[in-house]
Amino acid sequence: MKEHVIIKGNRYGIVLVLDPDVPFEDLLIEIGVRFDDSSKYFNSNTQSAITFEGRDLSSEEIDRILDLIKKRTTLRIPYVIDNNKDTEEHFHRIIEAGGNYPSSQEGAEDETHFIYPEKNDGLFYKGTLRSGQTLESSGSLVMIGDVNPGATVMSNGNIIILGSLKGTAIAGAAGNKHAFVLALSMTPMQVQISDIIGRAPDKPKKRFGSKPMEAQIAFVENDNIYIEPVSKSVLNDINI
Amino acid sequence: MSEVIVITSGKGGVGKTTTTANVGTGLAKLDKKVVLIDTDIGLRNLDVVMGLENRIVYNLVDVVEGNCRYKQALIKDKRYPNLFLLPSAQTRDKTSVSPEQMKKLVDELKNEFDYILLDCPAGIEQGFKNAIAAADRALVVTTPEVSAIRDADRIIGLLEANEIKKINLIVNRIRMDMVKRGDMMSIDDVVEILAIDLIGAVPDDENIVVSTNQGEPLVGDTTLPGKAYLNICKRIMGEEVPFLDLSNDGFFKKLSRMFKKSNN
Repeated sequence: MKEHVIIKGNRYGIVLVLDPDVPFEDLLIEIGVRFDDSSKYFNSNTQSAITFEGRDLSSEEIDRILDLIKKRTTLRIPYVIDNNKDTEEHFHRIIEAGGNYPSSQEGAEDETHFIYPEKNDGLFYKGTLRSGQTLESSGSLVMIGDVNPGATVMSNGNIIILGSLKGTAIAGAAGNKHAFVLALSMTPMQVQISDIIGRAPDKPKKRFGSKPMEAQIAFVENDNIYIEPVSKSVLNDINI
Repeated sequence: MSEVIVITSGKGGVGKTTTTANVGTGLAKLDKKVVLIDTDIGLRNLDVVMGLENRIVYNLVDVVEGNCRYKQALIKDKRYPNLFLLPSAQTRDKTSVSPEQMKKLVDELKNEFDYILLDCPAGIEQGFKNAIAAADRALVVTTPEVSAIRDADRIIGLLEANEIKKINLIVNRIRMDMVKRGDMMSIDDVVEILAIDLIGAVPDDENIVVSTNQGEPLVGDTTLPGKAYLNICKRIMGEEVPFLDLSNDGFFKKLSRMFKKSNN
């Protein structure tokens, strides 16, 4: 008779090798039998970790096996070692990236999307900011609407305004010089990225009349604020 | 049902009082029962623009303090029997009235009048707060100038924050010749920045100066601002009126255009 359950182990841990093809109920019976047979090895109140191989088990199934072992032996099992390779990698990556801003584009071998709860509190806002109003966000900010002169929009991250920026924008407020400000119409009073402040040069006020909207982006280079039209190459250079 | 409208702007001197006088008179001309309240305490001038300054016995502060009944303070207009003015005090200041007192007074007046117009003082402090306390609706007056628009924007933000949802724009003192030269913002430019619905545009006109000095609002007469103000009144009442063409061409320009046409 083929053995569907094999118990391997040492003083500190047990490996339960289970046949993947056999129905679980049968397996359970056989586990009981196996443990009875080897009871003299497991009857000294020893603590032992356990791990399962050969078959994926649901939490419920694991519980039932552990119950069984508890009933049939005096073994105490404080924890089950999870040998699932995927879970291990997942945790590993999260811990690795924990200290920096998410750069999930680099080195990600699979399609998993990583979620970083503390850092991902981006704000999506629709509405016009009027003179005297301030909009603040610790995460990056996307706005549909205008920022009127006298209004301020502030973020520790990046700011994207799908509208006109005529007021003040402060990006990277906590000190991130790589932050940027993007607006469909960029005629700000002031732009500040980290601690660097920029304003438009003094020149005669433009004649009135609407100009077509041209998306522009403000960023820091050599400790100066540059404002350029948005193009593929500029977008590629953005470091998040 | 009564409608309480506050006329405000933020910036001083853009035409709130003139607008209040003309819109109020216009609504009275259209057979509505109207009361105008001057809430600028200490610097009253709605009475002057209406030509009623020598009929003042009691004022807003007297009513609010209980020195008289509101009926005793209301002044009937010279020309229209369904138009009344509640003047402000000249010797007190804005702290003499609170928003709650304004609300109480306006609630009493609501039973008698179709329209209650509140002429708001310039600024954003107590006077402004008093004026907007009882209002359902606001007319924001601005001139097409950068500084006025900045203040109007702020005011609109404050109105929205105070839950006044119905806000309309009046662009005052527009000069189409300057707009054509590119020296002044067009009405569309102003509306684009302030992002509220336009209810009317009034051109800059000498006749207004004359009318305010004489104390006779010119709404409804044949001048361009007169027509513009009457159209605003009709729109307040819900009528859809097309906007006037404000380009006031001189005689020679019209003549030269005629010649150009005949040459083609």
